[in-house]
Amino acid sequence: MRYAAARLGYGFLLLAGVSILSFLLADLSPGDAAAEMRLNPRISPGAVAALRVRYGLDRPLPVRYVRWLRSVASGELGWSVAYGAPVGPLLWRRAGNTLVLAVTAMALAWLVAVPAGVWAAARQGSWVDRLGLAASAVLLAVSELVLALLGLAVAARTGLLPAGGMASLDYDALGGWERARDLAAHLALPAVVLALSAFPVVLRHVRAAVAEALESPFVQAARGHGIPRRRLLWRHALPAAAKPLVSLLGLSIAGLLSGSVLVEVVLSWPGLGPLLLQAILARDLHVVVGAILLSSVFLVLGNLVADLLLYWVDPRVRGA
Amino acid sequence: MSRRHRVSLALAAGFLALLYAAAFGAGFLAPYGFDEQDREHSYAPPVRLRFRDGAGRLHLRPFIHRWVERPGVPGVYAEDVTRAFPVRFFVRTPLGRPRLFGVDAPARLYLLGTDRFGRDQLSRLLYGARISLFSGLLAAILAVGLGLLAGAAAGFRGGWLDQVLMRTSELFLALPWLYLLLAVRAVLPLDLAPSGSFLLLVAVLGAVGWARPARLVRGAVLSARGRDYVLAAQGFGASELYVLRRHVLPQAVGVALTQLALLVPQYVLAEVALSFLGLGVAEPVPSWGTMLAELERYEVLTSYRWLLWPAVLLTGVVLSYHTLAEHIRERLQAGEV
Amino acid sequence: MLLAAGLVALAGCGSPAGKPAAEAAKAGGEARRGGRLVAALGSEPRTFNPVTAVDAASLGVIQAMTANLVHIDRQDQEARPALAESWKVDDGGRRYTLVLRPGLRFSDGHPATADDVVFSFQVYLDEKVQSPQRDLLIVGGQPIQVRKVDDRTVEFRLAAPYGVAERLFDGFAILPRHLLAQAYQAGTLASAWGIDTPPAKLAGLGPFRLRERRAGERLVLERNPFYWKRDAAGAPLPYLDELVFLTVPNADAQALRFQAGELDVADRLSAESFDRLSRDAARRGLRLVDAGPGLDLNFLFFNQNDLAGRPLPALRRRQEWFRQTAFRQAVSAAIDRDALVRVVYRGRATPLNSHETPGSHWLDKALPPPRQAPEEARRLLRGAGFSWDAAGALRDRAGEPVGFTLLVVAGNAERGPMATLIQEDLRKLGMDVRIAALELQAVLDRLFTSYDYDACVLGLDGGDADPNPSMSILLSDGSHHFWRLTHGPLAPWETEVDHLLKAQLAERDPAQRRRLYDRVQEIVMEQRPLIALVTPKVLVGARAALGNLRPAVLDDHLLWNVEELYWRRQR
Repeated sequence: MRYAAARLGYGFLLLAGVSILSFLLADLSPGDAAAEMRLNPRISPGAVAALRVRYGLDRPLPVRYVRWLRSVASGELGWSVAYGAPVGPLLWRRAGNTLVLAVTAMALAWLVAVPAGVWAAARQGSWVDRLGLAASAVLLAVSELVLALLGLAVAARTGLLPAGGMASLDYDALGGWERARDLAAHLALPAVVLALSAFPVVLRHVRAAVAEALESPFVQAARGHGIPRRRLLWRHALPAAAKPLVSLLGLSIAGLLSGSVLVEVVLSWPGLGPLLLQAILARDLHVVVGAILLSSVFLVLGNLVADLLLYWVDPRVRGA
Repeated sequence: MSRRHRVSLALAAGFLALLYAAAFGAGFLAPYGFDEQDREHSYAPPVRLRFRDGAGRLHLRPFIHRWVERPGVPGVYAEDVTRAFPVRFFVRTPLGRPRLFGVDAPARLYLLGTDRFGRDQLSRLLYGARISLFSGLLAAILAVGLGLLAGAAAGFRGGWLDQVLMRTSELFLALPWLYLLLAVRAVLPLDLAPSGSFLLLVAVLGAVGWARPARLVRGAVLSARGRDYVLAAQGFGASELYVLRRHVLPQAVGVALTQLALLVPQYVLAEVALSFLGLGVAEPVPSWGTMLAELERYEVLTSYRWLLWPAVLLTGVVLSYHTLAEHIRERLQAGEV
Repeated sequence: MLLAAGLVALAGCGSPAGKPAAEAAKAGGEARRGGRLVAALGSEPRTFNPVTAVDAASLGVIQAMTANLVHIDRQDQEARPALAESWKVDDGGRRYTLVLRPGLRFSDGHPATADDVVFSFQVYLDEKVQSPQRDLLIVGGQPIQVRKVDDRTVEFRLAAPYGVAERLFDGFAILPRHLLAQAYQAGTLASAWGIDTPPAKLAGLGPFRLRERRAGERLVLERNPFYWKRDAAGAPLPYLDELVFLTVPNADAQALRFQAGELDVADRLSAESFDRLSRDAARRGLRLVDAGPGLDLNFLFFNQNDLAGRPLPALRRRQEWFRQTAFRQAVSAAIDRDALVRVVYRGRATPLNSHETPGSHWLDKALPPPRQAPEEARRLLRGAGFSWDAAGALRDRAGEPVGFTLLVVAGNAERGPMATLIQEDLRKLGMDVRIAALELQAVLDRLFTSYDYDACVLGLDGGDADPNPSMSILLSDGSHHFWRLTHGPLAPWETEVDHLLKAQLAERDPAQRRRLYDRVQEIVMEQRPLIALVTPKVLVGARAALGNLRPAVLDDHLLWNVEELYWRRQR
């Protein structure tokens, strides 16, 4: 209980630290949310300056930070200059959409990569192992954006899947089951692309961890006792390998909200990605900080899950 | 070590050695300069090396035909079979630079095709390897090295050190580094020399990237520390350092090496994002990162297949590093290091 | 109450169809009626507020939901009656009297009168609201005066005659006073009508009105039953039932989804996509249109700002070259614009010699076409005291090697490659050009604040088919006089440009105005403060079954006449 309270406290400290440092870093970088308008010859410098004043961009950093804090306290989560609207409502729905996508993709990646990794570790050097490694190497060498574009090309050419978006135009007219099917059809492409880009990382870590566990004295001993191979792998080696993988799982959870930006942009998924990308480039600071804070919540959550899992798997870690 | 192991190790080491050597020797191996434009041959496919001429005669020395744009169809090329240009070795450029091979003007030897500006892709791959192979590896080593130190310290020592390091790593994972990079760029002079931006690239990628490996290493260290035999060793009064070196680090190194093999390609690709901020290498200097970024245009990805070469080579690099990492890990576990 | 008003209005709409001729015409209109059009936006609209909107996505959507007093036909670039059915000008061009159409109603059924017009202009002119368009309403140094004469008549008074005349009224959507007066009084008008506004709280005089929004994904607009416009046969417009805007941020994705049939129209296609889609357009039932040179301007300029008091000694040294007309002329002559057209746009662009593009009626046709002339460039440089060393590098009079940095916005698919080509062209001239690709905000910071750059390749899109919007660029004290935002004494030619621009602003004889502006273009081409490069052609696509499609070079290329678009029945 005290442990949880302490973690919660750390979590808040982290959020505070992240928000302060984000403001500081953004202040150091050139430009602000009003500057984007300066390139348009039809907008006078006076209008830009007025915008600055209206949103308090001309005030010193501490003042801006306190203003933002006040806005967070009121539940608005800041104020977007680009949208002329509070950040909170902009973020919630989109964060939900991103989560739907990211959780599906993460589940997909782990569900495939863990068995594949265990299998590869058990047959190190076999052609299956090599094939898996080669495939994962290819996936590592092309960027997520390229994967997304390829997915898009396949969808557009075959017409089997919708080439973007989250719902059909007639979504509202559909019944319950049809809605689920519609969502699944739209989800398939971005989720697979995202899972593919996460897959090699998980695969390789699982493979390495299980391979290492197989070498360890106690598994060797178990093997000496004539325990069947399958049982040895899944009941002995995998649990022994689980601990280092738990950290990876924690990192995966931490990246849930921030890991799918490019895929969302290319496949028109109405998540945080396009909003965040635009906000970063336009220096719409409150939107950026809002998204980062949401993301940090998952970071804290992911680490908490990882530590609790470590603790659960092995109570001796308690001393750490 | 099994024979198959030895073969794969030799293959991997050989491939990497070859690449690094080629990168060093780019000035001699590349048939053209990396910035030589040939605007009449934008996106020209690789030339076909031929041994048999129109009359059916065989030639020992391969020759090529020139690509000529089909009239009225921009971007579509056909061979001009009226003239043959034999491939020559040890040639000199118009400026007197020696090159391994080439063909006589006006033909040009585009073995791997050209990019948008009609620049020879092979030459750019070779010159680009200079930057990407080194920056990717160096940055990965820096990140994983720092991560290994922090993660091992956190996992092994535990207590407040663990707390401080892990909370710091969380902060590092959460912060919008982009803005810091933008600020750094704003302070730097407008024209960065390629060597300067190269070092900057390495430093930035390495320094920002330690948090992830650190957390993974810590997990491995915690797991190793909990093992019966490690506890037993400590129970027997083995020194902390001994336990760390003999039992804990080998495990952590396994994770670290896996991370290293994963990070190298990621860092080569990350250079694209940095270029966008003006921190990468600027045109016309090539890097694999910027060459790979070209693939992010649909038209290039689907129509100009020869521009996929950087991805192919990078895949080879990933596999080779992975094989090397595996090998090192096995040696470590066998206690040979 | 509102509902009742709506019902009455609805009944009123149906009534004029009493005569037999109109009956037949109505049948024609009915045949065209119905269907849904799906278009794409590059980003989610940020607001529905016509007063504050600046981004293309918001403007695109607002355009379909609102109307102006006078409308410029995007195809022939002429002014046409819109909400105002007629207008007259007197007092030497200082007074405009506009008469509104009878029976105008907003999309919620509320009648629209002169009060709404007066209210709208009050809002646009209010300094506290700070509409970005406010400056356009300042004529002769004073805000335009707006007065209601009767329910259908509004009078505008200008402090000075104005050459643009009634075109002025095109850019100002008429706002519903009954919905916005409260926000205006409360001082919150600038943040009113954000994208979260429920559809019932929005109303306009445009052909469509908002029905539904799915955050980040799409907007669904439905036919405005109170829309005032009718087709030639007298049938009510718009023909379409629904207009859907999908958010598709990636340009390649837009082209692919157009190809896959998920989008009915595609605007601003890249030359690559255009060529690819053209190949099997007939089979897929698509129509691709190259509408010719547009109004986008790509140009290069050198930093000629007055840097006194700034710690940039090396840059000030280089400015000695940038300030020489011969140097700029030589750079312009050395650039292979045909290569820019070919390599960057696959031939689908036009080389430029003036800041006015061939897409505009205002281009001075007497200007010679641009041509690459390396020998001419060398002659110019030699004449200005430059020379070449043994290695072929250019050196100035003092023997300094000539080189500079070319600033460009990173990640831009057009300007990036342009810079690479220009770098090579100038290298052949002996100049050592380095490219610095920075992210947009960093570029803006250098252009407008620190002035720490040598030269820059920039693109400005859209523009208008009139010289006035580009005045902020060309006037020596204009807010977008990029190359010389701070300056000391003006050169004679700069004074002349200022003088000519101000004269054309007040000139009401179109022919004389053209003569004045032609002279401006001649001077700019001679002096090359901005070196115009190329303008891409307007490449658009639509489903072949879409009727009345009239692609224009002015924004919005495809949907500017959205009320007239209809689906041809395939029967």
